[in-house]
Amino acid sequence: MPEITLLTRDGAHLEFACAQDENILDAAAAAGLFLPSMCREGSCGLCHAYVAEGAYEMGSFSKDALSDADQAGVLLCRCEPRSDLTVQLPYPQADIQRHEIISREAVIENLAPAGAGAMAVTLRYTPHESFGQAADFVPGQYMELAIPGTNIRRAYSMANLPNWDGRFEFLIRLQKNGAFSTYLAEQAKIGDMLITRGPLGQFVLDDASMRPRCLIGGGCGFAPVLSMLRHLADFQDTQPTHLIFGANREEELFAAGDIDSLRSALPQLGVTLAVWRPEAAWTGFTGTAADAFVQYLETSTQTPDVYVCGPPRLLEAVLAVAHERNIPPERIIAERVL
Amino acid sequence: MFCFQCEQTTKTDTGAGCATAKGVCGKDEVTADLQDVLIYQLKGLGQYSARLHALGQPDAQADSFILYALFTTLTNVNFNRARFVEMIAEAARIRDRLRGAYEAVAKAAGQTPDVLHGPASFIPATDPTGLLAQANIASVRAGLDVVGADVIGLRALVLYGLKGVAAYAHHAEVLGETREAIAVGIAHALDFLASEPVDLEELLEESLALGRVNFTVMEALDAANTGTYGTPSPVAVRITPVAGKAILVSGHDMRDLEGVLEATKGTGINVYTHGEVLPAHSYPKLRAYAHLVGNYGGAWQNQQQEFAAFPGAIVMTSNCLVEPQALYRNRIFTAGPVGWPGIRHIGNGDFSQVVQAALAQPGFSVTEPEKTITVGFGRDAVLGVAGTVIDAVKSGAIKHFFLIGGCDGAAPGRNYYTEFAEAAPKDTVLLTLGCGKYRFNKEDFGDIGGIPRLLDMGQCNDSYSALVVAQALAKAFDCGVNDLPLSLVVSWFEQKAAAVFLTLLALGVRNVRLGPTLPAFLTPTLIDILVSRFGIQPITTAEADITAALNRKAA
Ligand SMILES: Cc1cc2nc3c(=O)[nH]c(=O)nc-3n(C[C@H](O)[C@H](O)[C@H](O)COP(=O)(O)OP(=O)(O)OC[C@H]3O[C@@H](n4cnc5c(N)ncnc54)[C@H](O)[C@@H]3O)c2cc1C
Ligand code: SF4
Ligand code: SF4
Repeated sequence: MPEITLLTRDGAHLEFACAQDENILDAAAAAGLFLPSMCREGSCGLCHAYVAEGAYEMGSFSKDALSDADQAGVLLCRCEPRSDLTVQLPYPQADIQRHEIISREAVIENLAPAGAGAMAVTLRYTPHESFGQAADFVPGQYMELAIPGTNIRRAYSMANLPNWDGRFEFLIRLQKNGAFSTYLAEQAKIGDMLITRGPLGQFVLDDASMRPRCLIGGGCGFAPVLSMLRHLADFQDTQPTHLIFGANREEELFAAGDIDSLRSALPQLGVTLAVWRPEAAWTGFTGTAADAFVQYLETSTQTPDVYVCGPPRLLEAVLAVAHERNIPPERIIAERVL
Repeated sequence: MFCFQCEQTTKTDTGAGCATAKGVCGKDEVTADLQDVLIYQLKGLGQYSARLHALGQPDAQADSFILYALFTTLTNVNFNRARFVEMIAEAARIRDRLRGAYEAVAKAAGQTPDVLHGPASFIPATDPTGLLAQANIASVRAGLDVVGADVIGLRALVLYGLKGVAAYAHHAEVLGETREAIAVGIAHALDFLASEPVDLEELLEESLALGRVNFTVMEALDAANTGTYGTPSPVAVRITPVAGKAILVSGHDMRDLEGVLEATKGTGINVYTHGEVLPAHSYPKLRAYAHLVGNYGGAWQNQQQEFAAFPGAIVMTSNCLVEPQALYRNRIFTAGPVGWPGIRHIGNGDFSQVVQAALAQPGFSVTEPEKTITVGFGRDAVLGVAGTVIDAVKSGAIKHFFLIGGCDGAAPGRNYYTEFAEAAPKDTVLLTLGCGKYRFNKEDFGDIGGIPRLLDMGQCNDSYSALVVAQALAKAFDCGVNDLPLSLVVSWFEQKAAAVFLTLLALGVRNVRLGPTLPAFLTPTLIDILVSRFGIQPITTAEADITAALNRKAA
């Protein structure tokens, strides 16, 4: 059986065997290494890595999820070995979970429009004897939600705080013709059951940092940022914190009420609501989240920790600004929501 | 950052000390530097407090803050930078109040108040960046190039011993036991350190004085524990789980355990002790709670695996905390002096959140077959059978006592203590204290004429109990403690152990075997002094040390 060696970004070597007709993701899981992944059908891109050495074969995958297949880029869920392989992972060892990620049922407890074509969705774990009823996660993490009886499975970040009632709150922006979006818009009702898997993700706060924080959320990337801010409010954090919420149009600035209550719980919180294409009456900041980030950096005296979550375009623009301003990469924590 | 206060400190060819971005314990540079600044300020508080005590006008609230603040700087206690920034500001406010009080009281007494310098006049910066820039003057090594490593080493011994004393004093205070002599002794040591002492003899004398203060502190803590929870007596403690929801209480604090037991009354939640809370079972008023069902796990250094596997909520009431893993961050709580950024802290004794967290966890699904260990041989229990013990010694059935006390840790050298316990001849009795015992306390050592060969006396601070027993036996045999067939084998890890160590020195207890390594802050010169004047012996191998101890009289 081919031997697989994983090299993490921080230089750890992890080894296990993988049969020729088995994908590397499954073989790693069988060896107790749970690598970041989601759709496991070659379309989300979360299990992207590079083969440094060895022969392999890729199953079918989406071009959007893997654009560098010609440069030894692979999706591990679609990659089967044809010889011993050395695989370079683009993340540190800490991102590899050592315990199997829990999959369990939850029911829709609430469904409500949240403005701008978004829905606020609350799920609650179905009681389970050996798992208990805690909604355990770190603010910023996400869950995978699957619709029973289909192969539709999507990632959604929690907007609430971890709790002991088994509750997960999501802010979901409905995408036209999107599979999960259509389910939510047309089919879902209170009491329906979904399958959850998680918590997942490394988009979390560095609680120990003493630097100012700049949190940037765009579109549905606002949910995890909201959870982080709620956490800071819960712990009565006193460090300078700035929120940038980027939207294309004013009506996409949902969750305004949440921002107001955060402002009163965190008196030091600065807020920029950035609207790219506002109506004439808009008096706030006009421009993208990246433009607002430039403005923030000009007024701040200390280099902040930057947390950014949003669609690829927003992410790239913000990272480009950070790069230009020489913000060290380890101060930037980013998550792309497709 | 520079820190060499504990046994696991970084050791390299060029010297010892945690001096990079993060210490072995997980304490980061910023936290370490802020702790140094806070300690520097506490010396200033001590300068004023010592004088206020002398004038008969102490400030009890300030003395209490000193205990708590020193406790937060022990190894594995508080890692929360933000908490230190707050405490630094608070210390500055208290210092200003003490200064005002001191000047007024001195004038009222017809004296010209001393104008105090150094820590007493230190003005901390108002933001973290400024504070870090000030940390240099507060370093334990400040002045090394001028005064030399011996002086720095003894100052460190005084400071670290003092931290341990303060921690025990805080435990006692929480249960309502305070003593003027304790507050005076602590203020004196801080005032002394503020004077930047350079005389080795003076430094040694202060160390011994602290050792004596610590004897009083341990006596107060013993009075607090027995006064509140009754006299410890031997009891078999269950070490296997019982089906049902569960809370684990770790650290050392009995009052927090009591708080958890009260909060869980009638909820169906079972409470387990962990680490150094194990001796709680020996106190009648604590074991009267039927839902205090047993002990789970071992010593502190295995907590990441044990807490992850524990299917309930966890409360860490004092040292020793290790970085909480994501798997249990949402169900672990800190209390008292303990802290970790992003972990919920119970500051007001209200454990209702812990109950909520425990109810949300699955709990243990099955009751495993019962297994037990016996604890609770405090001084009353041992002295209660003193007659039997004395007869057994006289008849030769008991040849020797080994007191194996102190902390556990992750270092491989700590196997020594297991080997020691296992290799001790069958006609010797093992007395244990602290969490070092977890290395071997699940083994069966048998008994000698009905006296179990392994007698657990409790927490590290219960060395008080051991000393009382030793003194009573010495009296019965009409000899000195050092003439008893008793050897002390001490494993140290952090500053509570340093305090107990100073007490042993102060009481003239000789022939203490110290390991697994000697403190990094002690220079060869200082070790020579400890060996020649106090008879301290570094451990060698278990077998050789046992032989040496048994042949002591012959040698
Ligand atoms: C880590 C992470 C966290 C996330 N957190 C959130 C969150 O908190 N909130 C949130 O709203 N989203 C979040 N997302 C995004 C979310 O997972 C989904 O990608 C999103 O909701 C769209 O899913 P869908 O099934 O509705 O659309 P999909 O079916 O996946 O379709 C996506 C888009 O492609 C288009 N499309 C689909 N099929 C076709 C076709 N045949 N031809 C042409 N176009 C097509 C659709 O119109 C749609 O616009 C997150 C994603 C990640 C990776
Ligand atoms: S407490 Fe010990 S491990 Fe932690 S920094 Fe200090 S010496 Fe190092
Ligand atoms: S005996 Fe020492 S190491 Fe063990 S828990 Fe107590 S203080 Fe910590």
